[in-house]
Amino acid sequence: MLSTAITGNDKRKMGMRAKTVMGQTILGIILFLIAATIILPFAYVLVVSFTDPSAYVSGTFYIWPKKWSFKAYRLILSGKGFINALKSTLYITLVGTPLNVLFNAGLGYMLSKPVPGKKFINKAVMFTMLFGAGMVPNYMNIANLGLINSWWACILPATCGAWTVMVMKSFFEALPKELEEAATIDGCGQLRIFGIIVLPLSKAMLATFTLFALVSYWNTYFSAIMYLTSSVKAPLQVYVQKIVLSSTISDVVDLANELSSEVPQEIMRMAAVTVVVFPVLCIYPFLQKYFASGVMVGAVKG
Amino acid sequence: MANSKRIALTGYSGKKTSLAARIYEYRYIYLLGLPGMLVLIIFRYLPMWGLLMAFENYNPHLGILNSPWVGLKHFERLFSDPKFYSMLKNTLVISGLNLLTFPAPIVLALLLNEVISNKYRKFVQTVVYLPHFLSWAIVVSLTFFLLSAEQGIVNKIAVSMGKEAYAYLFSEKAIYPIIIIQEVWKGAGWGSIVYLAAISGIDKGLYEAATIDGANKLQQIFKITIPCIMPTVVVMLILKMGSIMSVDFEQVWLMNNAMVKSKLEVFEIYIYNNSIASGSTQYSYTTAIGMFKSVVSTTLVVFTNWLSSRKGFEGVL
Repeated sequence: MLSTAITGNDKRKMGMRAKTVMGQTILGIILFLIAATIILPFAYVLVVSFTDPSAYVSGTFYIWPKKWSFKAYRLILSGKGFINALKSTLYITLVGTPLNVLFNAGLGYMLSKPVPGKKFINKAVMFTMLFGAGMVPNYMNIANLGLINSWWACILPATCGAWTVMVMKSFFEALPKELEEAATIDGCGQLRIFGIIVLPLSKAMLATFTLFALVSYWNTYFSAIMYLTSSVKAPLQVYVQKIVLSSTISDVVDLANELSSEVPQEIMRMAAVTVVVFPVLCIYPFLQKYFASGVMVGAVKG
Repeated sequence: MANSKRIALTGYSGKKTSLAARIYEYRYIYLLGLPGMLVLIIFRYLPMWGLLMAFENYNPHLGILNSPWVGLKHFERLFSDPKFYSMLKNTLVISGLNLLTFPAPIVLALLLNEVISNKYRKFVQTVVYLPHFLSWAIVVSLTFFLLSAEQGIVNKIAVSMGKEAYAYLFSEKAIYPIIIIQEVWKGAGWGSIVYLAAISGIDKGLYEAATIDGANKLQQIFKITIPCIMPTVVVMLILKMGSIMSVDFEQVWLMNNAMVKSKLEVFEIYIYNNSIASGSTQYSYTTAIGMFKSVVSTTLVVFTNWLSSRKGFEGVL
């Protein structure tokens, strides 16, 4: 009796295990298909962008390049259009990111302290999250400040955002107070406390927001369309959009000699997209590292 | 004894000080916050001055102060403009359809949560979060490579099978589904983070008890996981409803073309095309449109925030 009972139990356990395996397999396949909708478009773009023009036949598609070639990349990367756009994006990103992190952290830190007027400033910051003047008044404001056709028009308005300030504020509030108090007693000034105690303690949080700022400046698009009037100053996102959506891409690529007709439009377009996405893909793993941390959850919720 | 306690409570000075002295005490802290405050004042508050244009016939030569005051004329024009109602409709339809995709991140979070292999889950998470960091210019480019009539892979396959190519991007019928799919593709993974956080906060004991009682996985999902994350779901839904007047502007701007214009023209597109892009004299009217939109969406956001805090879900966010 006893032995049969045990085997029956074992059978049930094995049945459950089989069920789990099957369930996990189905789940795995569903999630794989979801991931594939994201990976496949990139894989396709990559494959076409590396296809040699001689192996390219208009109107057909490939799963693997018949003949590899870097020709499209050579043309894209040596075109004046790309060089100008890259310069513009690098300027906006490299100047904007440190200012963004410093300004946000500074204001967030200030609001985490019991400074006089804190309540009012807090409300004033929150209000910018709720209400904006709108496109035309913003444009007139930038024009009045003399920032039309200046990269600063794409940089400065984005250097401080209510949401980031609030997330940073709650982070600073949660830092242990003892270190700062001890430093004060030792005669350390407020600026030095911020520089040598608070900032180093907030490295992970600051790294996250640095990467956020990097990506968002790299993706600058509409402020450039609005405020940058000369096409020489247009950043990469505008450049890639022009290449993909305009019919005469040779003007956008802007090569010194007219080689671009050698490579079909489609391959040029996909090479351009790859070039512009590549840096984001490169810093993405670092960004991903912080997803699990509490900062990110707070950030998403906020 | 009592004296030392008072020092500990009031801070390092141990004396009650005047406001000016307290401000002076924090002078360096203010200095740290100053650049951020200046940016918000100059780029967020200063433009609000320009809202006065909505009540005048703004003339760039006279400036905001001296332009003739016309009261609510532009708002009256707005409410009698058939264009206004078509823009409102487009906005509400696009946001409404977006609202329908609200369960997508929840389903994704539930699926991810059931994966036993940590490595595989991490892999899928890494992939599905990625589109959030791509610009709309890239997402729209990828859509073009997929759906364009001559260069899109969908049409290439269709043609190779003897069917005719279909210009999806120029089709009034196809444009809303495309917009919504883009939105889900870009946002569902990122949106699932908040639900995964909510799920990870559920007491594991509940599942153990359910397993002992013989509940299978599916029953556990419907009887434990979903009820437990319901407060989060409700709050996120309410907050999403608050943004119903806002359509992702870069997306519709990039997807817009002459053929689908009647479906995609939302407030911002009209404002941009009739003020900054054309250099026309419609500054006052377009400012009025923008102001209408801002006021309505602010009201909605404030109302929905109030609603979400009132329902007893304060602890959730």
